[in-house]
Amino acid sequence: MAETATVAAANVKKAPSKEKTYQVVAKRLLKNKLAVIGLIIIVLQIGMAIFAPLITSYDPVKQNLDASELPVFSEGHWLGTDNYGRDVWSRIVFGARISLVVGIVAVTLGLLGGVTLGLLGGYYKKLDGVIMRIVDLLFSFPGILLAMLIIAILGTSLINVAIAISIWSIPSCARIVRGSVLSIKEKEYIMAMKSLGASDFRIMVKHILPNAFAPIIVFATMRMATAILSTASLSYLGLGAQPPTPEWGAMISQGQAFMWSSPHLTVVPGIAIMLTVFAFNVVGDGLRDAIDPNMDIQ
Amino acid sequence: MAVSTEQIASSKKTEPKVLLELQGIKKYFPIKGGILQRKQSDVKAVENVSLQLYEGESLGVVGESGCGKSTLGRAILGLEELTAGKVIFQDTEIQDLKRKEKLKFVKQMQMIFQDPFASLNPRQRIGHALEEVFTMHTNMSAKEKRETVISLLEEVGLKEEHFYKYPHEFSGGQRQRIGIARAIALHPSFVICDEAVSALDVSVQAQVLKLLKSLQQKYNLSYLFISHDLGVVRYFCDRVLVMYLGNTVELASVGDLFERPLHPYTQALLSAIPRPSVNRNRTRVRLQGDLPNPANPPSGCPFHTRCPIATDRCSAEKPEWKEYEPNHFAACHFAGQSIHQ
Repeated sequence: MAETATVAAANVKKAPSKEKTYQVVAKRLLKNKLAVIGLIIIVLQIGMAIFAPLITSYDPVKQNLDASELPVFSEGHWLGTDNYGRDVWSRIVFGARISLVVGIVAVTLGLLGGVTLGLLGGYYKKLDGVIMRIVDLLFSFPGILLAMLIIAILGTSLINVAIAISIWSIPSCARIVRGSVLSIKEKEYIMAMKSLGASDFRIMVKHILPNAFAPIIVFATMRMATAILSTASLSYLGLGAQPPTPEWGAMISQGQAFMWSSPHLTVVPGIAIMLTVFAFNVVGDGLRDAIDPNMDIQ
Repeated sequence: MAVSTEQIASSKKTEPKVLLELQGIKKYFPIKGGILQRKQSDVKAVENVSLQLYEGESLGVVGESGCGKSTLGRAILGLEELTAGKVIFQDTEIQDLKRKEKLKFVKQMQMIFQDPFASLNPRQRIGHALEEVFTMHTNMSAKEKRETVISLLEEVGLKEEHFYKYPHEFSGGQRQRIGIARAIALHPSFVICDEAVSALDVSVQAQVLKLLKSLQQKYNLSYLFISHDLGVVRYFCDRVLVMYLGNTVELASVGDLFERPLHPYTQALLSAIPRPSVNRNRTRVRLQGDLPNPANPPSGCPFHTRCPIATDRCSAEKPEWKEYEPNHFAACHFAGQSIHQ
């Protein structure tokens, strides 16, 4: 009732609405309950990562063999301890720093490369063949093998893991973007911009890219999940986070030996990964709907 | 005879000045095939079109779907690369110019698109879409741009409050007005209307046509009005070009063409216009068959496969494009012979 009344009032209002696009997007995003839950999780995690020393009472890497393999809800260690007696809560909180940074860096770099290649390949027919063959080449390597190769060249460190994962994301991102560009560039509004004398750069960035956002956002959020998981896999293989660094994936692989005696060592970081992945996915979905001007605010 | 020249002369007051000249325009689309994607043959979308367009005139282009009328429009603007021929605009050959050199002609030549739902970027507010035109071609400040856009919106019958709306919030007619606003923003002298009113309701069509006419008088615009609606063309245009399978078939003033069509194809088209009349006893000529494949056009006259008066000569020899009466061109061996028997 009240909502329709305000909408009607907005229509009556004479002056053109000065609402900026991002305000509209934010408003719509906040109407999506799942997306709000996801946003809360992400904000909490970022808070956790930033204020890690303030919300933990133990050093995440300090061993205490007297208190090893304590179960969940033990006194002083509400998430228990691992086989070296390290506090699992502290490790999860500090691990958020690593997982989020690696995920965000990897996805950002991957998107930069993939979107650029996809745009160029989709828009310029002449470049398409060359770019897509490079993409095929990257595709032909199994992902982990490619990442191992890159880390072998660059050396073992978390930033190199992020770079390796980003290179691994480039081909699929380029494919997805190219597909959208191919269909969008045939649209009449692109023809209209050409007839107005718009430069190729303007057409690509201002008219094709915004209309290809939906698949890109879905890809980015799904990739965020994959990136966190891949960091875990690489850490498991000894190429990512080096012990005793508290990295969620590494924690799972280390805890797997104690799966039966202390299941919380695998379950807790597993839940942390799952919640992160879930949060990014629902926020991504919400964002995709929110930036679509054709979706009604109601 | 005198009718057509007088019409043009009187509407222009002085001698008509040539604004745009096409010389032997050809546009072929290659068909590729085989493993190596070699060119196998061509779709001959536009075959040898030559004509002149005068300042302040509306030239209608009519023909069936697929006859190359839209391709012709795009080829003139350089949106399609020409296979052969020259486009001479204001005494300058523009077909081979680089984009930078072409920009000043871009301001002069604009296009209104067929589908008002597809010709606007769905993610851009229409005010910003119109501002972008000035961003590309002028050095206006943000405030100047906004004011110009608002006056432009008012000129095409929209309001200031529409500035921040997205395309999907408008009706078809309103969107077409936005398309028109964008096309006339830089005060061009030549506008191509590619089926500009075909997607609209009849009542909205009339409003948009009126708007186009008033803009023509205000800015001395020339229109190339591509349409398949002969009624609209008769109302709107000064001269009409009839196309068939990429070829020009007949070109004459509206009066001449509708009263004394020379080419059998034009006669057949005209006989298809529904006329609410009881007294007139008219015969409807139905053309048999479909438009031939433009990748493999018929020999001789392209129309001979469907022409009711075709003879052996028509399939052997391609008729010449000739001026049969002053300012009345046609391409037919039997120009003027009636197909109504």
